[in-house]
Amino acid sequence: MENKLSVNNLVISFRTPGGKVQAVRNISFDLKEGETLAVVGESGSGKSVTSKAILGILAGNSIIESGSIIYDGMDLLKVSEEDFYRIRGDKIAMIFQDPLSSLNPIMRIGKQLTEAMLLKGKARQKASRTAFNSTLALLSQAMVDSQAGGNAARAEELKSMCKNFDKFEFKHIELEQAYNVAHEAAVEAVDEIKEVLFYIEKNAFEDQKYTIKEIVRLAGQTGNDYVVCGKDLEALKQLLGELKKVSGGEIHSGKYTETTRILKELQAILEKALKTEEPDFFDMGYYITFSGQPLPQMPVSELNDFLKKYTKENFMDKFHACAKEALAYSAKQHDERKKEALQVIAENYEVFTKETLDKKECSEAAAAMVRAVEGSIDRLEIRKDSVAYTFKSSIRAALHTYFEGIPKNKKAAAVHKKQQAKYDKLTARGKQPSWKVAPSTAVDLELAKDNVDAVIKRMENHYKELLANGASRNFDEETEALIAFFRENASSVVLKVSKSMAKYKALKLMEEVGISDTRKRYRQYPFEFSGGMRQRIVIAIALAANPDILICDEPTTALDVTIQAQILELINKLKADRNLSIIFITHDLGVVANMADRIAVMYAGKIVETGTSEDIFYSPAHPYTWALLSAMPDLETNERLEAIPGTPPNMIYPPVGDAFADRNKYALKIDFEAQPPMFKISETHAAATWLLHPSAPKVEPPKIITERIARMKAKGGASNAE
Amino acid sequence: MPNKGETLLRVEHLCQYFKTNKAVDDVSFEIKKGEVFGLVGESGCGKTTTGRSIIKLYDITSGDIYFKGERIAAGTLSYRNHIKEAKKKYKEEAEALKKSGSADVLNAKKAELDAYIAEQKKQMQEARRDHKKHKTVTEIQMIFQDPIASLDPRMTVGQIIAEGLVIRGEKDKAKINEKVYEVLEMVGLVREHAERYPHEFSGGQRQRIGVARAVIMNPELIIADEPVSALDVSIQAQVINLLDDLRHKMGLTVMFVAHDLSVVKYFSDRIGVMYYGKLVELATSDELFKHPLHPYTRSLLSAIPMPDPDYEKQRKRITYVPLKEHDYSTDLPSLQEVLPGHFVHCNKAEFEKYRKEVQE
Repeated sequence: MENKLSVNNLVISFRTPGGKVQAVRNISFDLKEGETLAVVGESGSGKSVTSKAILGILAGNSIIESGSIIYDGMDLLKVSEEDFYRIRGDKIAMIFQDPLSSLNPIMRIGKQLTEAMLLKGKARQKASRTAFNSTLALLSQAMVDSQAGGNAARAEELKSMCKNFDKFEFKHIELEQAYNVAHEAAVEAVDEIKEVLFYIEKNAFEDQKYTIKEIVRLAGQTGNDYVVCGKDLEALKQLLGELKKVSGGEIHSGKYTETTRILKELQAILEKALKTEEPDFFDMGYYITFSGQPLPQMPVSELNDFLKKYTKENFMDKFHACAKEALAYSAKQHDERKKEALQVIAENYEVFTKETLDKKECSEAAAAMVRAVEGSIDRLEIRKDSVAYTFKSSIRAALHTYFEGIPKNKKAAAVHKKQQAKYDKLTARGKQPSWKVAPSTAVDLELAKDNVDAVIKRMENHYKELLANGASRNFDEETEALIAFFRENASSVVLKVSKSMAKYKALKLMEEVGISDTRKRYRQYPFEFSGGMRQRIVIAIALAANPDILICDEPTTALDVTIQAQILELINKLKADRNLSIIFITHDLGVVANMADRIAVMYAGKIVETGTSEDIFYSPAHPYTWALLSAMPDLETNERLEAIPGTPPNMIYPPVGDAFADRNKYALKIDFEAQPPMFKISETHAAATWLLHPSAPKVEPPKIITERIARMKAKGGASNAE
Repeated sequence: MPNKGETLLRVEHLCQYFKTNKAVDDVSFEIKKGEVFGLVGESGCGKTTTGRSIIKLYDITSGDIYFKGERIAAGTLSYRNHIKEAKKKYKEEAEALKKSGSADVLNAKKAELDAYIAEQKKQMQEARRDHKKHKTVTEIQMIFQDPIASLDPRMTVGQIIAEGLVIRGEKDKAKINEKVYEVLEMVGLVREHAERYPHEFSGGQRQRIGVARAVIMNPELIIADEPVSALDVSIQAQVINLLDDLRHKMGLTVMFVAHDLSVVKYFSDRIGVMYYGKLVELATSDELFKHPLHPYTRSLLSAIPMPDPDYEKQRKRITYVPLKEHDYSTDLPSLQEVLPGHFVHCNKAEFEKYRKEVQE
């Protein structure tokens, strides 16, 4: 599985009056496509800070000291705010803890759902246009290079083929949009008719007026070639004429029988129309543009088959073959360049191995490397090669930290020395100063240098790996992905998000997240919803832009058990339907057993244990994980709960050793002196505790956990539903 | 002081209506001396209202609450309803009797009705008197859900904790301070904390302050209204352990209101399950989890998340739809004892069904 998002060596601090609070201390993790990663920890352990860093919404007093968050060929820590507009919400969405405070109390639900769609519509159109055009131009160039072989006529032919793609791609969207409008009008008209009929039946003998202008207007909009057409359309028009004659926009009690009959017939026509299949607009667009003939008259399902066959024979197969060849050619070309780039890196690497780096030398060497790497990126690949794309910004930032740090360190050292001297003087006199010496703000130059090294090494290893795996690439699949990319972008270029379109989409979303009676709900305010329903709305808003990654920040903490179970089920279902990758943040380990594929346990800004959910629950290794598990009663716990004593450490003065040592009854002496590295337990499971060191004493997890695991194993996961 | 095993608090037919909203509807239970009584249910089902009614934060609509054998709160709606019903019944009978024309019987009936009404009115007056007499019950104290919202940000911790004593009329400052320090140490804080303000504390410590405030009045019964719902898992365990210690040390009785079933199961001796203002099931905690009878209890149990991935992957949630589960069109349900100590809200047909299930 491909990595969707990878966080590397992230370090985040906050500037506060008391000093620098180190909220996140060097964490790394990957999020794979279609998986759920749960981040578990106490409040203040840095879970939310990490997720906010991913979304670029950290507080103003935050300092990102080092690290990278790589997503889709970008380093999210270095993206400009303007570019972030295209990512935040569109690609990465977030569900917040408290549904009440994340919804606007004085705006109707419908408006809140469609707001972002309407606001972002134009920007997205523009971005899609650029992506479509540039990729098509690249493809056409690659086609010419690979297949024309200097033959001008052939080159022209290939170019025009690409251009045709452009032309008919846009044709079909217009048809589709018209279809959607008409379809939506039909749905609404049916609803209105039902309502009016219901009231007429209820008050059949009372003198009341019903306005039916809305029905007439909506039904008038349904005349589309694929919604209501042919005989049905004629019948519809006739009925509308009769309706106008009978009622003149309003129904009175005297004409109930007549109008009821007409309305019922109208309803029958519309309902029939709604049941028919949706035509394949993509192929239709091609047929209309290039065949020069009118569409054959046949039922929609047959028409779809016919069009598909026509497009495939006349265009798609050929285009597919050419594109595939072009892709293979381009990949081969770029493989050569990658080899060259590797050489360049190897030649220039020497500069970075010296004891102290020289600024001029280094920047020249880095520039050469960047040039070579940038040249070797195959921009026709739809899946962006994140490591190569971010190489330039990463190495520049790493070098910048190092060279900026040198003068800064002198100043910081002087300040620190002065303070320390003052402190020592006071203590020597036997006084107890009420203040502490602020830790030196000096940049760790060794660490900065290691970072530079790591960036280059990662690039090198990545390219070596790519070249080794080059033979096993599947160009068929890649071509499919390329064509899908074109289709997708073309749709978002043409699709103008009008109010009615946005509403149509919003209603569909509400249905998807399990809200019934959507049309009524659409017009309500947040306070009219219960807690669970509100959280569903928040989820629907998050899903509106069809994101790749969903960050759930304690989505169920404010809800009670039954609602919690419902929301978790919903998130699981959506994940499966939409192939979402989810980061699930919580302090309750009980919740994540159901959700998570992998779990990362965080404490004091570090990941202390990571593994699959089976690893964490059946063989936890870190004392903090033990503590979390034993603090949580289950249905068969009778003994005293093992609360974690004390509170998390003050992160202005982070402890030298293991941060958990103070509260840990299994702490060894070394825990107070040095930070434990990550010890690998199995392929998927790792924990940072000295207890896993080969020469550490053997320690059993607390009884409460071992007994529970034994009990769970004995049950073998037997379900509760007898 | 009642001995262990004696009834400390008895709630009979408690109703608490807010205009048309029946927040608590005909709830009866007993809490014995020294036990922990858990009350669970989803949000909005009336658990908190029950707790608040007991501590007399509301004037109850109907029913009686007895604390240590004395009636501390009473509502009058039931008496008024009785009178109304009796009058209606009399009217119907009188009309029938008028036709047959025996004046003696009619007069006798009338006298009977008057006596009944007088009796009810007398009882009503007594209820009102009892309700007024026990204006405040300092022997029952409450711990609130949100440790941030329930502490006054402008008072020091010492002032917050001592407030109850001051209101009761304690004037000796030294005595108050001594008492405050004592409870602070009892709940695991230190003397110096008395001078600080609530915002200087972490969530778990704030909840300890809430506990200290309740404990200083030397109560017999503590009503803990979701004391751990707003806390982290690790802090939750600290607070639960603290309550457990205090309970043994001071011989406290606790009414524990929560929606987290695993915590309630761990902490309580007996558990009542509430659903939309009604108590639907009441049993000892082991019994309730071993043989849940009411479909709502089953649905609630099936929603508990477990730290067991294999189990979680197979878990099937049971949804509870009251209309589908019960047919109360002919026979109205009430709380009935299916097994000794195990009560279920059901009607006759369901009672038989549950009984059969239990015997199997």
